[in-house]
Amino acid sequence: MGLVTLVSIFTYSGCLTQGIDHTGGRALRVSDVAERGDAARRASVRLVIQGLEADTAADLYLGMDSETELRRAQGSYERAIQVDPTNPYAYLALARHHLDGGDATQAVNLIDQSAALFEAEGLRSPEVNVHLIGLRGWSFESRGPSGEGKIYLSRAATLAPNVWGDGSLSAEELR
Amino acid sequence: MARRKAASRKRATSARRKPTPRSGGQWLLRGLGGVGAAIGFALGLALASWILEIDRVVELRFEGRRFSVPSRVYSAPLIVYPGTDWQRVDLSGWLLRLGYREQPDGGSLQPGGYEWHPGRLRVHLRAFDHPLRPEPARELTFRLAGGLIKEIEEARTGASVEVVVLEPEPISAFLGENREQRELIKIEAVPPHLVGAIYAVEDKRFEDHYGIDLRRVVGALLANIKAGHVEQGASTLTQQLVKNFFLTPERTLRRKLREAVMALVVEARYSKKEILEAYLNEIYLGQRGSTQVHGVGEAARLYFGKSVAALSLAESALIAAIIQSPNRISPHRQSERAIKRRNLVLDLMLEQNRIDSAAHESARRETLRLAAVSRDTGEARYFLDALSQQLPDVYDAEVLSSQGLRIYSTLDPRVQRSAARALKAGLERIESQWSGSRKDAPPLQGCLLAMRPQTGEILALVGGRDYGASQWNRCVHARRQVGSVFKPFVYVAALEPGGGPVVTLADFLDDAPLEIERSDNPEPWRPENYDHKFRGPVSVREALERSLNVPAVRLGQRVGIARVASVAHALGITSPLPLVPSLALGTAEVAPLEIARAYATLANGGRRPTPRMFVDVVEAGGMAKENRPLQGSVPAIDPAAAYLAVSLLEGVVDRGTAARVRAQGMRGPIAGKTGTTDDEFDLWFVGFTPELVAVVWVGFDDPAPVGLPSSRGALPIWTDFISDVLGQNVRGRFPRPAGLEQIAIDPESGARALAGCPRSRTEWFLEGTGPTTTCPVEAVAEDDGQPGFFRRTFRRLLGR
Repeated sequence: MGLVTLVSIFTYSGCLTQGIDHTGGRALRVSDVAERGDAARRASVRLVIQGLEADTAADLYLGMDSETELRRAQGSYERAIQVDPTNPYAYLALARHHLDGGDATQAVNLIDQSAALFEAEGLRSPEVNVHLIGLRGWSFESRGPSGEGKIYLSRAATLAPNVWGDGSLSAEELR
Repeated sequence: MARRKAASRKRATSARRKPTPRSGGQWLLRGLGGVGAAIGFALGLALASWILEIDRVVELRFEGRRFSVPSRVYSAPLIVYPGTDWQRVDLSGWLLRLGYREQPDGGSLQPGGYEWHPGRLRVHLRAFDHPLRPEPARELTFRLAGGLIKEIEEARTGASVEVVVLEPEPISAFLGENREQRELIKIEAVPPHLVGAIYAVEDKRFEDHYGIDLRRVVGALLANIKAGHVEQGASTLTQQLVKNFFLTPERTLRRKLREAVMALVVEARYSKKEILEAYLNEIYLGQRGSTQVHGVGEAARLYFGKSVAALSLAESALIAAIIQSPNRISPHRQSERAIKRRNLVLDLMLEQNRIDSAAHESARRETLRLAAVSRDTGEARYFLDALSQQLPDVYDAEVLSSQGLRIYSTLDPRVQRSAARALKAGLERIESQWSGSRKDAPPLQGCLLAMRPQTGEILALVGGRDYGASQWNRCVHARRQVGSVFKPFVYVAALEPGGGPVVTLADFLDDAPLEIERSDNPEPWRPENYDHKFRGPVSVREALERSLNVPAVRLGQRVGIARVASVAHALGITSPLPLVPSLALGTAEVAPLEIARAYATLANGGRRPTPRMFVDVVEAGGMAKENRPLQGSVPAIDPAAAYLAVSLLEGVVDRGTAARVRAQGMRGPIAGKTGTTDDEFDLWFVGFTPELVAVVWVGFDDPAPVGLPSSRGALPIWTDFISDVLGQNVRGRFPRPAGLEQIAIDPESGARALAGCPRSRTEWFLEGTGPTTTCPVEAVAEDDGQPGFFRRTFRRLLGR
């Protein structure tokens, strides 16, 4: 089972044929792509960044303030999708948001949606893949400790130890 | 002992007193007195009981929920950014519909004000109050060039703004039977000059009387006697409230008496502040279409596009002025009359020392600046009906029409308007082509639904031609034969790699006479093409592009009808599908919403979205009540097979039965499928881009021939709609997953085209399923010894 998962991770990450650790320890930050694409994509990415900022602020606050920032973040991601429904970064950030809130079921669909859109746009770079692997592992782990989740997370930690070393992805790290 | 003596004396005295005889008159008087007392007692009892009943009615109404406030439905917000085509998104229309007011004289803009300059729009956005997604009030400058927003700046700091979320539009409301619309206000939010204006013109001694102003009653009585007819009224604010709150509009003495008593009871029970607040929320202040506008909160929005707290003195005086007769003195229709009465109110305010002469003069000089009237055109009524069904059961009609909820929907007003316009124009265009004998036919119907494929959000829904004439929502409830729009599901079933695909896009299907035995009919079924011709072997691609029936039936038979139905269900069809050979030709009856969802699954790389019509519900008090988070989509079919289907459907638009889409100038990634049922009863077109799926259905409620094929009936409506919404150049690209390869093939044989092959085009294949034969034939590289389908067919045709 573990071997099958490992093979699927390698296949998923595209590393089987491309060699190990293409990221050089780097992982996607959404602000790196803020100036790419057409006007709709740029505006959509800007809204994703606003959402990540709100999610980051939510980590700093307590109680109602934190709750408010979390809702603001979700609103920003949904608006990013409204502006550009084909923006894979928006689904990726929304998936992370749900995982942070403990909702793995919602997250899994969004990770897959994001992966499909990255694929469609030819953007499945190693920097993107590390997050897709890590988020998938996180989603497995959220539903209870599993060997599968650990394998995915371990792979993500190997590819980008500075980001995925702790087994999760913060909004600040993705921003 | 002494006590006994006293008692004995009392008895003796009593015994000495003898009864004196009475006269008849005395008896009568005494009797009358008794009857009078009894009548008086009964009357008193009845009066007390009546007053108690009135008191009970008053208490019930005041202590309970006093007002029915219809729930309002809002659109999705308009989001603009540098690069937005501001005319296409109808920015100026948004300003008008949200009640923003032009301030052509420049200067400092108030929230809700804007001014146009050449190449520049300055607007002071109002704050958007939402518990989850609030937006601050801020003044922005939009720099415009070439039809686009070039730049957005914070007016105060000059800082660049990358994206602006504009307030959602109120699109409609769940009105109750009385069709009253109001925005509830608290007395603390009402500016003193509005209260002063109302006092001045309606009830100047409101603070002093007990519900009835006797001085005014006497004054009015004398004036009316002098005039010889009813010239003046004497109703206090309390009486007006009572009249509107509890009583019918009949003009009888009994009702007037009841009104007076009720006013006294109300005044006895409640404070002046409570009574005034109820009055300000209840008072009738005009019409918006067929909707009655009640309360100063709603009136402030209707006439000035602002909250009641932001009303100026002159605006407050105008609202007070129209209380007397809101329609006769309507500021929209009778502006001069309204200004004249407004000035009278201002004069009264000065006279009663409620304002000073400077304020009076300034307010009298103020020109009347009204917000544009945005009417509820009814375009979104079908959407609202469908939305109410998607809301949880606790939100029944009574709750929706009374509890003042704010429902934030997914509807895009611009897309909705385009859909309504395109459908109406399209149906009229079709009818205009009919000959005179058909003019008496019932109205042609149609529906148009637009959905975002990734999220299932419904952006527009027009469920029929005219909601007023028929509320039957054809997009959601009408199950009609789908015809050829079903065929792609057969092809998807054949292309899915589960157990190995049955065909590839380079394979050929036999378009030749076919007979299928039927269990319920001794005659076999012989499917035919629309032109009754057979073409021999045709490629899979050509078969779908030309919407050929016989190859589709043949393919359905090869795949298995049960498998076809299973794939259709996986894509999003929920109606029952008959497991008969003709299912491949779309003989099943399916609702347009299901078709939209199934095609959205194809457009979204095989991931099925869940239709979503609302985002959240907010209580009147501002608390979030219901939230429907964006759910994304779930895997339904193989992504690669979905891409192959999309590629086929792009061919339908590029070269096939939907080529008219391209002929009308549409560019970019577009896929779609026409569908016309037998005798042209139902015309369908489903088309999609990477961002939008739209389905159009045209037909009669009682099936009858429309007289046109889909390509001339439904398709032009779709193209008209999409070009209006997205422009002629569509952006994006369809999701192309891993596991696909593009190979050059010989279009005539389906073989892999190598150097020396006289014909070549590229085709998509699932990895590892490319042709094994080659063109030229001699160059066979990987022949597994098994003849391909084309060769098999040819051999069969040639008898070898």
